[in-house]
Amino acid sequence: MDDHRMILRFEGVSYRYPGGDAWVLNGLHLSVDPGESVLVAGASGSGKSTLCRACIGLIPHFHHGEWVGRVFVDGLDTRDHPVYQLSLHAGLVFQNTDAQLFNQTVESELTYGLESLGLEPHEIEQRLAWASKMANLDDLMDRPPDSLSGGEKQRVALGAILALRPRLLLLDEPFTHLDSEGTEELRRILRMMKAEGIALIVVEHRLHEIIHDVDRIVILHQGKIVGDGSPHQVLAGKISDYGLNLPPLVRLFQDAGLNQTPVSVDEAIAAIKELRALNLLPLSSAHFLERAQKSPHEVSSRISRPIVEAEDVCFSYGSRSVLRNINFKLLRGECAALVGRNGAGKTTLIKQLNGLLKPHRGLVKILGQDTRRRSVSELSRHVGFVWQNPNDQLFQPTVRDEVLTGPKALHAYDSSWCDELFKRFGLAPLLDRSPFTLSEGQKKRVSFAAALAVKPELIVLDEPTAGQDEPFRRELAKFITELRREEGTIVLVTHDLEFAAEHANRWLALAEGQIVADGPPEILMADPAVMAKAGLRPTHRFQLIQALGDIAEEKA
Amino acid sequence: MVFVATFLMMVFHHWISLTSSLGLLLTMVFFLRLGLPWLNLLKGLGFAALTFFIIAWFAFDLLTGIVSGLRLLSIGTVFFLFFQTTPPEALSNALLKMGVPYPFAFVLTASMQFVPVFIRRTRNILDAQRSRGIPIEGGLNLLIHLPALAGPLLIQAFKFADELAEAMEARGFGAPGRRFRDEPRFRWIDGMAVAISLIVLAVVFLIVPRGE
Repeated sequence: MDDHRMILRFEGVSYRYPGGDAWVLNGLHLSVDPGESVLVAGASGSGKSTLCRACIGLIPHFHHGEWVGRVFVDGLDTRDHPVYQLSLHAGLVFQNTDAQLFNQTVESELTYGLESLGLEPHEIEQRLAWASKMANLDDLMDRPPDSLSGGEKQRVALGAILALRPRLLLLDEPFTHLDSEGTEELRRILRMMKAEGIALIVVEHRLHEIIHDVDRIVILHQGKIVGDGSPHQVLAGKISDYGLNLPPLVRLFQDAGLNQTPVSVDEAIAAIKELRALNLLPLSSAHFLERAQKSPHEVSSRISRPIVEAEDVCFSYGSRSVLRNINFKLLRGECAALVGRNGAGKTTLIKQLNGLLKPHRGLVKILGQDTRRRSVSELSRHVGFVWQNPNDQLFQPTVRDEVLTGPKALHAYDSSWCDELFKRFGLAPLLDRSPFTLSEGQKKRVSFAAALAVKPELIVLDEPTAGQDEPFRRELAKFITELRREEGTIVLVTHDLEFAAEHANRWLALAEGQIVADGPPEILMADPAVMAKAGLRPTHRFQLIQALGDIAEEKA
Repeated sequence: MVFVATFLMMVFHHWISLTSSLGLLLTMVFFLRLGLPWLNLLKGLGFAALTFFIIAWFAFDLLTGIVSGLRLLSIGTVFFLFFQTTPPEALSNALLKMGVPYPFAFVLTASMQFVPVFIRRTRNILDAQRSRGIPIEGGLNLLIHLPALAGPLLIQAFKFADELAEAMEARGFGAPGRRFRDEPRFRWIDGMAVAISLIVLAVVFLIVPRGE
């Protein structure tokens, strides 16, 4: 095929970072047609981000290291063209939005690239208007980027790249920090990009967020492409070893022993109807429905003293009221998920649980102790936190010291428990290494062990699945189950509703600082008013179960 | 661009021994516009000025102490006014006009841009460390447990710098032939500001020798 027809072409590319011994890309061949949309999936460390960097010429121009093969972007060999020239052909939206926004206003953010390249003034104005419309930024033009919400910041980062009018747009894990509404909005923009004829490469662990909109999936494993084709083709193949977080419906069908690979609820319903019509869904049908409908949670029947009691909690930052009349109790062995939009007050609420913030009105009691009368250190003996970013806490020379920091500060060191934790999180071989040399997934494990080392009664997990691959999710699920069996109480803050529906027995839905609903996930998801108020959408799995229920009723 | 005037005042006024009363006057004038934020500033600056005053008092005499304290206060206020009234963009544009190369001017404004980002990160780190029982709450405890804050903060700063460099590179930083959408221009009002500053300066220089 003619080189110039391809928007992107990798010819036997291998690459390793300076000082690294493993090849991050390993003999990669790939071509992408103009206007094609491709989802690149793979476990952590499979080379996804490196691939993105190679597409826009940051490798080999910015990152040196060993490089074999050739990459063509829009027909240009990336070795022969500097990054700024390539930026008119391929643009990348990075993971960390903060580091991409370095101008004073959204407007200057969008024009930065155009000014750098010295475009004509009328051209700049034209492209600015277009990018602003595409990324839906017209109302934000004069705002400083720092004052924006996470979703808005990401749209600005996207707009800044779009202004360069690349024919290939790459996004590195764009959905990680978005809530349901932000996800919808981004998907809408990406569909518009596709309609404009821009080729898309989206890197994502969580396949179901985008799989419905792409033409093709490429699976990376240890720097090699191990799967490439249409979503259905790829999902039907043997891909269980590659650490992918499969779409929940595909997983459900697999569990029920069905071969179909539905990527949307409609497809799943159609598939089931077809099987029924052909009478091919005999025994497994009942089984399938039963399995899907059964609530995975046994209701805690124990009556115990509550671990957490929040009574009429109000809290405000200055004049902005963030929490309003929050009331709830948590019992032993419960796993409660806090769900809601970004900015609904979820983080402010969990900070009340160990006294980092104290209620301005009302009170929070942890094991019967009023948080206003206890210091954070006293409370942290009973409340363990695993924050979203493990880099916020690592500072010790070795993993062992890191995990034991809490127990030593709180004089609560139990050596057999800590050994058990090292084993549980697979840290035993890493104990003498510096935490800074670990992978992000390993760091996350260290922070889990560190939080659990003092045997807290309550453990708070802040977005535990964000940016994590399937193996980690599975470990996390196992860990939550174990902890609940040991009568631990868990509070989960998350946008990952699939995970929250599967592992929490209770959802607290927050909207504008108030709890708008409190109950089992199935009950909340069945109430459209509540879901709309909290800005949530029911999980695919739940939508399917509901639809199947409706079909059954029609028949009856 | 009022900033040229402010800039000149800032540079020259603190060489004049009798500025203290003058600086106070200046404060009063601008006080009308930015009262509340200035009071906030005073919380920190007032303490510094007081310390400075006491040290100077014991080291030299009371008069030197008062003069030094007041001088610090007025310089602080001038700086405060400068940063309150001048958007970083105007500052970098002016530097460019003065012939400072673009990368340097950019670094100056960009680093101001990231102050809130790093304040947020510092807060996150403090929260994370406090919630595992490290009582890093300020005062002496902050000093004792400084590594628990400084370690993660430094690591994150390095990583951030790397990511920022990549993002800038990808948007054409350093490409030849940069064009500015709003070309900074030296207008008559800026000329006036410079002229007034120079006159004030000259007058002050003429008066001072007589005063001493």
